Amino acid sequence: MKFVIQRNQLMESVQDVMKAISSKTTIPILSGMKLEATTDGVKLTGSDSDISIESFIPTEENGIVFVENIEPGSIILQAKYFPEIVRKLPEQTVEIESDEQFNVTIRSGSAEFNLNGQDPQEYPQLPKLHTENSFELPIDLLKDLIRQTVFAVSTSETRPILTGVNMVLRDEKLHFVATDSHRLASRTIPMSDITSEVTFKNIVIPGKSLNELNKILEDSQDKIEISVTENQILFRTKHLYFLSRLLDGNYPETSRLIPEQSKTNVVIDAKELLHSIDRASLLAKESRNNVVKLMTKDGHTIEISSNSPEVGKVLDEVKVDSIEGEELKISFSAKYMMDALKAINTEKVKILFTGAMRPFIIKPGSEEEEILQLILPVRTY
Amino acid sequence: MSKRFPTNGRVIFHVDMNSFYASVEAAYNPDLKGKPLAIAGNPEQRKGIIITSSYEARAKGVKTTMPLWQAKELCPGLRVLTPNFDRYREASSQMFQILAEITPFVQPVSIDEGYMDITECAELGTPVEIAEMIQQKIKNELDLPCSIGIAPNKFLAKMASDMKKPMGITVLRKRELPTKLWPMPINEMYGVGEKTADKLRKIDINTIGDLAKADSYHLKHLLGINGERLQNRANGYDPRPVDPEAVSDFKSIGNSQTLPYDTTDEREIEALLHSLSEKVAERMKRKSVVSENIQVMIRYHDRKTITRSNQLHDYVELSEDIFHIASTLFFANWNGKPIRLLGVTAQHLTEKEEMTKQLDLFTYENEAKNEKLYDVVSQLSDKYGKNIFKKNKSYENKSSVSTSFQKDFLDDYKTKKKK
Repeated sequence: MKFVIQRNQLMESVQDVMKAISSKTTIPILSGMKLEATTDGVKLTGSDSDISIESFIPTEENGIVFVENIEPGSIILQAKYFPEIVRKLPEQTVEIESDEQFNVTIRSGSAEFNLNGQDPQEYPQLPKLHTENSFELPIDLLKDLIRQTVFAVSTSETRPILTGVNMVLRDEKLHFVATDSHRLASRTIPMSDITSEVTFKNIVIPGKSLNELNKILEDSQDKIEISVTENQILFRTKHLYFLSRLLDGNYPETSRLIPEQSKTNVVIDAKELLHSIDRASLLAKESRNNVVKLMTKDGHTIEISSNSPEVGKVLDEVKVDSIEGEELKISFSAKYMMDALKAINTEKVKILFTGAMRPFIIKPGSEEEEILQLILPVRTY
Repeated sequence: MSKRFPTNGRVIFHVDMNSFYASVEAAYNPDLKGKPLAIAGNPEQRKGIIITSSYEARAKGVKTTMPLWQAKELCPGLRVLTPNFDRYREASSQMFQILAEITPFVQPVSIDEGYMDITECAELGTPVEIAEMIQQKIKNELDLPCSIGIAPNKFLAKMASDMKKPMGITVLRKRELPTKLWPMPINEMYGVGEKTADKLRKIDINTIGDLAKADSYHLKHLLGINGERLQNRANGYDPRPVDPEAVSDFKSIGNSQTLPYDTTDEREIEALLHSLSEKVAERMKRKSVVSENIQVMIRYHDRKTITRSNQLHDYVELSEDIFHIASTLFFANWNGKPIRLLGVTAQHLTEKEEMTKQLDLFTYENEAKNEKLYDVVSQLSDKYGKNIFKKNKSYENKSSVSTSFQKDFLDDYKTKKKK
């Protein structure tokens, strides 16, 4: 195998593929990265058996040549050293060559590395998904869906199913839902152009996979294709192939846990609320599990406060656009509130409370986007 | 600086209310003044004993813990009242507030006594003048007598307040130890109980002076670390500071009660556990704490005593919950023999103000279903006082006094102080 490649393109692909490679893998060959040269271009592969990523660098795109002098072949390289080598090479072009004994030579300008590679035959074949169950989505939108939900997945393995994001495709709508049982994040988008045969219910994508995918995908209007099988999900763009296993088990039915009526409704500037919560949490962070209290004051003010006996207290009044309904005093985690407000990211938010011991909902001020953040309050005594 | 204040060292007061419960009753009902008066548990039952008595009754030989019948024999005109703890708590709280006006360094130790560190109070007068001022104020405002001991440390102040009662003010200086303290019999030393006194007498330590001069190695051998501590105190050395926060260092709340007769009757046992649980819950509520560990104590007819506790995964505060845990524990550990005494203790306490519980999406209904109830209870309690809600009792025994080492009243004083 031999080819000459543009260093920037190679670097980018290497970084993406590295997201799937773990040094702690139980299958030794998976600690390596697979390079495969064909007449079409160079393909890099990394996998930790939960996530597998393939990144493809075409010989040329839009008239710009990325790969030249290709002698087809493949090799497995030590992932521990390869990325740093590529990063530090002196010139813009890199020549990579391997021989029958899996010795690899990397040349760039004055520098030449000789590395021991491994037999590509030993690298497991990535499953090729054959499924009708697929649909397309703009990359931007998928990134939004991920960003607005994935932070709410559970980090604890006590209920493994909650470490994933539940994806539901139903009634021409795509739902992403995540909850760690203390808060819940959900985002829904219309999918009117989809064929009605495609429906998914109990699809639970590991939060970690989505986080990595989100890092790899660049903001773009281009489409990404999502295909699902029994136990795997594939995200595919022109040059990226991202495969993740799905979580086993039944995701809890969350829709009926979301209150439909509310007793106290507040409309408020999201930034002002975020900053106020942030201030209140300064004192609450360490001693009080980051719990802050929200109290309705009158028709146009809420009070955010926190009291840590050992440290001190903070009191902050925030003007609201409107308060309707019953008076309320409620305590909750400042972190959950800040996460939710950041995820919604609109100028105004609407907060719907149903009582001090019931979950409350945060929505964008305008209803056009179907984002819902739900937070369970903290009971104080 | 007043020359009466020492240039180094501290000035500690021990304020001790004189026959506190009886004095409070007499303040409520002046007719009782000057008459022999005793506060006692239920006269009908065998445990009807004197809790405290007025000086007039004491003059006739009535003593604390004496059975009621014996007290009546010694003092035929004795007026006997059952205790009104709410009154005593109220009076105690007011008394500590008077002390707190002098200095923030007030350490309540029980319902009717406390320490003060007035080292920094020289501008108010000499120590004796300050003591007189406190004593007069408590007398004028609360109509209650007290004795005050003045000394360089807590132990000597405590001994001093005991030397002149009622309405005494006693100064105990270190140089006066050989004349004032050392001649006293060893059993009158604070910190020396009957058992310790017996042990000490066996090695010919009969007075506090004997203890002061005893061989420290020998003492340590006999009493352990406490021997060394007692000897230091006998020599006028006590390093404990007056700690206003000491009150909040409580670890548990427990109540126990002796049954009228030894029993194996499960209904009776349950009823007693129920009433003990209620008392514990009530005291927890007063202190605004919740518990993570419930313990029951079982004392059998032969005085054999066991304790068993259950570490919980959740906080409890309601008497029903405490009762449920206590009775489960009891029946899991009872050997079926007749029972003399039962106790219920809530341990591992957390102050409610300090505690929070993150509700869970899948279980919050458990808490939320009682939300209305909690609301109404707290609103009505605010309006009508805390005692309006009582669960229906199957075991009504109002006149009974269960034993507890109650320091709750101190928190009443503390909360008032905060305001």
